[in-house]
This record gives sequence, C-alpha cells and structure tokens, in this order.
Amino acid sequence: MTGTIGQSTTPDKISGVAKRSMADTSSKTPRRRFFEFKKDIPTSWSITLGVAVWVSFFGVWEFAVWQQWANDILLPGPVKVLSALYTMFADNGFLNDVLISVWRVLLSFALACAVAIPLGILMGTFRTVEAFFSPFVSAWRYLPAPSFIPLLLMWFGAGDMQKLSLLFIGVIWFLITLITDYVKSVPADLIRTSVTLGGNRLQVLRTVVVPASLPNITIAMRQMLAVSWTYLVIAEITAADAGIGAVMMRAKRFLHVDEIMAGILVIGVLGLMFDFLLRQVYRFAFPYLEGRH
Amino acid sequence: MPLDDTILTTNNVSKTFGSKTKAVEALRDVSFSVARNELCILLGPSGCGKSTLLNIVAGLEDPTSGSVSLDGEIIHGPSRQRGMVFQSYTSFPWLTVFENVEYGMKLNGVPKAERTERAEKFIELVHLSRFRDAYPNTLSGGMKQRVAIARTLANEPEILLMDEPFGALDAETRWHMQEMLLEIVETTHTTILLVTHDIQEAIFLADKIVFLSANPGRLKTVLDLEFKKGAELKSKEDLIALPGYLECEREITALMRAEAGKSEEDY
Ligand SMILES: Nc1ncnc2c1ncn2[C@@H]1O[C@H](COP(=O)(O)OP(=O)(O)OP(=O)(O)O)[C@@H](O)[C@H]1O
Ligand SMILES: [Mg+2]
Repeated sequence: MTGTIGQSTTPDKISGVAKRSMADTSSKTPRRRFFEFKKDIPTSWSITLGVAVWVSFFGVWEFAVWQQWANDILLPGPVKVLSALYTMFADNGFLNDVLISVWRVLLSFALACAVAIPLGILMGTFRTVEAFFSPFVSAWRYLPAPSFIPLLLMWFGAGDMQKLSLLFIGVIWFLITLITDYVKSVPADLIRTSVTLGGNRLQVLRTVVVPASLPNITIAMRQMLAVSWTYLVIAEITAADAGIGAVMMRAKRFLHVDEIMAGILVIGVLGLMFDFLLRQVYRFAFPYLEGRH
Repeated sequence: MPLDDTILTTNNVSKTFGSKTKAVEALRDVSFSVARNELCILLGPSGCGKSTLLNIVAGLEDPTSGSVSLDGEIIHGPSRQRGMVFQSYTSFPWLTVFENVEYGMKLNGVPKAERTERAEKFIELVHLSRFRDAYPNTLSGGMKQRVAIARTLANEPEILLMDEPFGALDAETRWHMQEMLLEIVETTHTTILLVTHDIQEAIFLADKIVFLSANPGRLKTVLDLEFKKGAELKSKEDLIALPGYLECEREITALMRAEAGKSEEDY
C-alpha cells in the first residue's frame, strides 16, 4: 500500500475500492465513511454486513453455550437445534405439522382476501359503501383477535374451524382498512380521464380503479400475511393437536427446548419464504413499476 | 352568429361551491360559444374559475344554474363527446403507449382492426411511434402529455377540452407541445377549448380568447386576435415577428394585471 501515504487505509479496506483512488492525486479523493447520513452503500457492504449480524448472533449463542452461561437444557446450542430439526423431519413426521400450519394460514388468508379485496375496493371507491361499513370495520379493528379465543373454542372446539376463524378475524379488518385507503389514493384525474373517454361505472372500476390499486393491494397482502403467521402460532399454542405450534407445546412438556427452537426457526423461515414469494409476485405482475422503487 | 357554425355554448353558467353558510361563488353568468374547428382559449387570472368552467363543460361538475349545450343539446354528465386532457399526467401506468391510446376506443366497443389503425395513426401524429410499446413510466412529462392527447383524439370527441395541459412542463418542452398542437389542429381540424393562464401560450394557440375576470369568474371580454388572421404560424418565432403581436400581448397583460389587482383588494 505504498501509494496511500498520508491517507487512512481503513475505509478503503472495508469498501474494497482501494484501487480507485490511487491514480487521482490532484484532488483529494472523497473518503467513504462508515457512518453516513442516508447514503446508499455498495451491495458488497450490505451483503457483508447482513452476513456479519447472523455470524455474530450464532457466535454469541454458541459461545454462551460453550461457556455454560445457562443450563444446556434451557439453552441448547445452534448445532443441537439443527440436529433436533433434522430428527423431527426425518423421524417424527414434522413435515406433516408444517403443512397443516401452512394450509391453515393460506386457507384463512385466502378467505380473508376474498372478502377484503372486493369490499375494500368498493369502500375506497364509493363514499356510500364506506359510510355503511366503515363504522363497523373500525370498531372490530380495535378488538384484539386473541380475545375471541375462549369464545371460538366453545363454538368450534379445538379443531381447524377455531384456528381458521381466529386467523380470519385477526387479519380481515386491517386488510379491509388498508385496501380501502390504497384504493382511495387512486388519482381522481385517472378516473375522470376514463369517464370523459366514455367509461361507465363498471368500466371505470374494472379498467382504472382495480389496476391502479392492485400493486398496493399486493403490498397490503404482504403486510397482513406476516400478521397471519403471528395469529397462527397463538392459535396453535393455545389448543391444538397438530401444527407447528402444537409440536412446540408438546416439546415444552418434555423439556425439549431444542425442538421448541427448531419450531421457531421453521416459522421464521416460512415467514421469510412467503414474504419473498409475494415480493416476486409483485415484481412479475407489475413490471411497469420498475425503477420506481 | 350563424347557429350551424357553433358547436358548444354555455348559457349563463353559474357555480357556487359549498354550503349556504360558507359559499364560494366561482362563476357567475358565463355565456360564450365555441365554433366548429375553432381553438378557443379560456384565459384569466389564477382562481377565476377556469378549471371549474371546463369541468362543467366536461360534465364532471354540475352548474348551480345555467346550462351547457353541445350541437344544440343540453349536456348531462360526462361523455366521450367531450374528451379531456388534464394538467396532471393521466396516462395509465399499467398500459403501454399503444394500449393507452387504444383505451377509449376499447371502452366504446370499436372493433379491433379499426382500433389498431386509429391508435397507430394518432401515435404517429404525436411523434411517439418509436415508443409504441413503452410504459409511461419510462417517458418524459411532455411525452406523457402527448400520449394523453393521442388517446383523447383517437376517441374522436366532438370537442377536445384541455386544462393547462402544458402547465407542468419546462419552457422548451412547452413550446414544442404548443407547436405540435397547432400541427394537430391543422391535420385533424379538431375543435379545442383550452384553459391556460400563460398569455403567450394563449396568443400563440388561440383563434379566440375568452377572458374571465376574477371573484367571481365572469366573462370579461372575448378577443378575436385580428392581427393573426391569415398569418401562417409554425413556430413561436413567427408569432413574435408578426406585426401587432406586442400590442396584443400588452393589452392582455394589462387586462390580467387589472384583474389580479382587483382580486387582491378582495383579500
Ligand atoms: N371543489 C371545490 N370546493 C370549493 N371551492 C372550490 C372548489 N373548486 C374550486 N373552488 C374555488 O373556486 C374558485 C375557482 O377555482 P378554479 O380551480 O376553477 O380556478 P382556476 O381559474 O382554474 O385557477 P388556477 O389558475 O389556479 O388553476 C377558487 O376560488 C376555488 O377556491
Ligand atoms: Mg385551474
């Protein structure tokens, strides 16, 4: 590094762009600082930093186990958790529980969307529809879904129906509200354009309101699907004989902390997967938005 | 005025917004007419009710009293006879340029073959053939407005309404658009009612200027721009070189200033 006399080499080392500044001696090259206000960082940085946080997390975890900071029944190491995960899938039929959970989330979410999307579109478009439903929807939004668990248990028992209905009421009100707001934000001039081109009510709805709000509806779905996973775990932990949450509660009874952690890991991975999936749907369904984000 | 030459008339159009307790009188007794194939400019100081008047003509807003008639028939609500181009960019982002231009014809059930032919013709007319399959997101502001103009014209309205269509564009793009609009008028003989508060734009484009006064908007005067009669205007330079141009601009500027001054006293 003979060419960098008088310059701090630290930031260049990190950024991997040391070569760039060599030739330029006339003007002082701008130093890349580690902490910059609202500046984009190179992709290599973000990948490195993203990996670093996980490496540190597992490092600290493994270290804590190795140092015996906690009872190793209560705090198994990452390796132990991963092996427990393998055993669960290989020998205990955990895949079946995972599929049951996924099915519960997807079915209840599909039902919620089937109601919320048309209703939200109508509420966002027509003030009359909004005036009718809005007081009702807002009220329900402030009732925490888990408070219905005792009631749902009495009505439907501990079966699928109770899970599905909890998940349904857990997301439906927010989904309606979000979609209504997004539909309302469709520019009025787009609607007026269609109307002055001869569009009737149904045509305007179908050819302007829906396509204009579809990208944001997808975003609303992505946000609420994450919430749906939260309610799934709540539902399965309170009472269930199958599903990821049920497996975790059973593991608790036998003090299998590694299995509980494996369950948490699976829920996390599934959540990320669905988020990624919906993000891909967004990218492929709305190619015309490229460059806006 | 020969009746058969008139395509659009407003008869004592008045508009008051708001409730009885807090009413804003935007327009009072505005009557004027637009002749077939004429490019009529609505000019007036900011807030004098130009947009309101244009919206009423489009049928997007109802007059409090008075009426608007097209071809002798009183209008009710919007229709494809009165296509509108807005100041904001209204090309549908999820449709390509071609699909945007085709859009209105599709609403009105024009058969596919004719739709394609007409869309292509009007895309050509606004010089966008190269961008036929591009999404509006990738176009500049001026190009987006051209899409909107082509889309409205392809729908074959009786009259084209434009509310400050070039107001959001930079000066140079605005010139190009104004020149292009004159080109379009020459080839398609469309009747146009265009709102602006840009005096030079008004003089350059207008066959006739309808000048509104402020607070509430009333018909102040109608200017026929005698000095332009017979002159062939291709560009802004041609206009500025025309004898009588400066006189006209001075006159309108004075009108504008008088109106603006008046409304200041009201505040
Ligand atoms: N929906 C509305 N409700 C209440 N008042 C309104 C409404 N629309 C317009 N006005 C009022 O009517 C008057 C005329 O407004 P308008 O937008 O037609 O003016 P304009 O000549 O187009 O102005 P600008 O040059 O700024 O576009 C203004 O005083 C405005 O505040
Ligand atoms: Mg206006």
